[in-house]
Amino acid sequence: MATARAKSVRTGYLFVLPALLLLLAVLGFPALFSLTLSFRPESGGGFSLEHYRLLLEDTLFHQAFWNTGLLVGLSVAAHLGVGLAVALALNLPLRGQPALRLVALLPWVVPDVVTGIIWKWLYNPLNGALNDILLRLGLLAAPLDWLGGRYLPLISVILANVWRGFPFVMIILLAGLQAIPRERYEAASIDGANALQRFRYITLPGLRKMLIVSLALDTVWEVRRFGLIQAMTQGGPGSLTEVLSTLVYKQYFAFFRFEYASAMAVVMAGVLLLVSLPYIRMISREE
Amino acid sequence: MQRRHSLWPMVLTMICVTVLIAAMSAGAQERVTLRFSDWHLTEDVWNKSLTEGMAIFEKRYPNIKVQVEPVSYREKETKYTVESAAGRAPDVMHLHAFSLPSFYEKGYAMDLTSFIEKEGKGFLDAWYPLPLELVKHRGRVHAMPGDYMTMVLVCNTDLLKQAGTDVERFPTTWGGFLDFAKKATTPGQQWGLGMVGAKDPGFSLRFSPFLWTFGGDYLTADLKRSALDTPEAREAFAYFVELSTKHKVVPPGATSANPQDVRTQLAHKKIACEIGSGWTAPIVNKLNPDLKAFDVLRAYPLPVKKKRATAIWLSSWIISPNTKHPQEAWELVKFISSKEMELKWFQDNRVTSARKDVSGVAPEILNDKFAKVIAAELPYGKVEPQIKEWPEIMDAFTGAVQEALTEAKPPDKALADAHARINTILARRR
Repeated sequence: MATARAKSVRTGYLFVLPALLLLLAVLGFPALFSLTLSFRPESGGGFSLEHYRLLLEDTLFHQAFWNTGLLVGLSVAAHLGVGLAVALALNLPLRGQPALRLVALLPWVVPDVVTGIIWKWLYNPLNGALNDILLRLGLLAAPLDWLGGRYLPLISVILANVWRGFPFVMIILLAGLQAIPRERYEAASIDGANALQRFRYITLPGLRKMLIVSLALDTVWEVRRFGLIQAMTQGGPGSLTEVLSTLVYKQYFAFFRFEYASAMAVVMAGVLLLVSLPYIRMISREE
Repeated sequence: MQRRHSLWPMVLTMICVTVLIAAMSAGAQERVTLRFSDWHLTEDVWNKSLTEGMAIFEKRYPNIKVQVEPVSYREKETKYTVESAAGRAPDVMHLHAFSLPSFYEKGYAMDLTSFIEKEGKGFLDAWYPLPLELVKHRGRVHAMPGDYMTMVLVCNTDLLKQAGTDVERFPTTWGGFLDFAKKATTPGQQWGLGMVGAKDPGFSLRFSPFLWTFGGDYLTADLKRSALDTPEAREAFAYFVELSTKHKVVPPGATSANPQDVRTQLAHKKIACEIGSGWTAPIVNKLNPDLKAFDVLRAYPLPVKKKRATAIWLSSWIISPNTKHPQEAWELVKFISSKEMELKWFQDNRVTSARKDVSGVAPEILNDKFAKVIAAELPYGKVEPQIKEWPEIMDAFTGAVQEALTEAKPPDKALADAHARINTILARRR
């Protein structure tokens, strides 16, 4: 019996092996390569912690770290808010529901570089649609330079990012909403619970796992957000919209500082690992 | 018995077919394929011209097939770096002058000296000395010069006339230019100058003339320290920034405007002038044929404060050290940079050449209303420092300009911060 079980386990591992080897080749090797590169002095050879020491002093890195936190925090919060609202609306028995769901998904389908280009056009202070609409509605007295100024650029980038990213959360939450048994709502209604109470005591607890999953996955995605910012601002003006991903890219491909860029990437990966811990723990517990 | 005899013709036929296939495949193997990558392939006007050029090359070299690989202007360094690191870069690549030092340092550009020596003594005499200096690394030639142009003011003469400016007597000083720009500006509708303020490779080409004509510079002569703390640099920086923040003679949104955005503004009469070069008129013409860019636009030397100067645009051709066909790749580079083709590039695209025997003597250039101004400025042309830290320095500097343009920092503070950061970057070099 024990032999049969061991054989079965071995067969299981054999089935997993190709995927494991592939992961090692496409993820493990580059990660290890970056890690070793981050400890190599720019002059070549040897082992050094110099790049990590420099990171502690690099004000641009600190600014990018702070901006990443703001971008991720605000974007993920807005994704959750907008995603939940749209998911609730699309869960109602509306006419043309499939079409509405498709429309709501569209921003997610568009590659983020394209989203960046579209929003850059929309924000154009000379002939952008956003200023035009707001001026016609009388909400603005003069055109705004959405990607200029001291505070607007990061807000403008986040706004575009919210539009692009909310469908991902929406689709996860919609799936969660559909899994909540109807009977619970009916029972609550019979007991006299109002809409807010039903949302507070049935919907939210029913969505708990989905909320954690979407929060964790969305956070990981947003820390890595690159194309949208690169297409819109390249981290400018100044370093107002510089985030870790654009800075790593710049250090590697524009400044050719492969070792320093690797140290940044390693820190970024560490942060991502920390962020995804709750998700990993939840999945492990379920197993 | 009969079946045994009938086998021989079949065997013979098979042998013949095999020999024929082997001969054909041997013939096919003789034809090599070269991968040729250039950002110009993404531009309509240039694409047509290069496609025609490659057809001429393939006709002359029937054993070589050229496979073109377009790349975006902004992403070319990224693509070439990744591919070079992986040993899979295109055989022939087109680069900016400022990218060359980094490519030399990383060993991504083949040493061409032996090919040049085989061409015979005096082969390089056809080129201007400055571009030849820029393609050398530790005394060895690692690239061949391509486009060689100076930056000039390109203005819409209709808008100049509307502003009451005599098109034959355009301002020659920055003070005079500011007066003109104010007259050419109608708030909210039209502006005197288009300003590139985005983090874009085209920014330094358009800002540097301000710095240099005011008598300032980015770095000290030994390239070891920032020179942005001089009064001349401060004055140039403040002048540039105040065109937007104080005088408002440039359209809003300068910090996100790249060269193509500004050319679009010129094409649609939103601005009277922009800093451009030979490529400006064809692109503007393509953007808005109704403007009749070749008739309406005119090139002027850049105004001066203390000394006459302008930025030089130089592109160059490199061969990947990983190429399997170095001789064929050299033939292609030699062909692209030949006198005949450099003239074609000018005729089709209005870009002047790094070859003296083209830009200095060709009647097509000397009689062209744009090219003659651009070529006349070559003696005053200057290039950015050719050090591998330059992209990082320029990023820090562009960031400072943007901070001043958005009024996040006063110009003096933004410049002082850039000065300190550049010194930190240069300290690594020391």
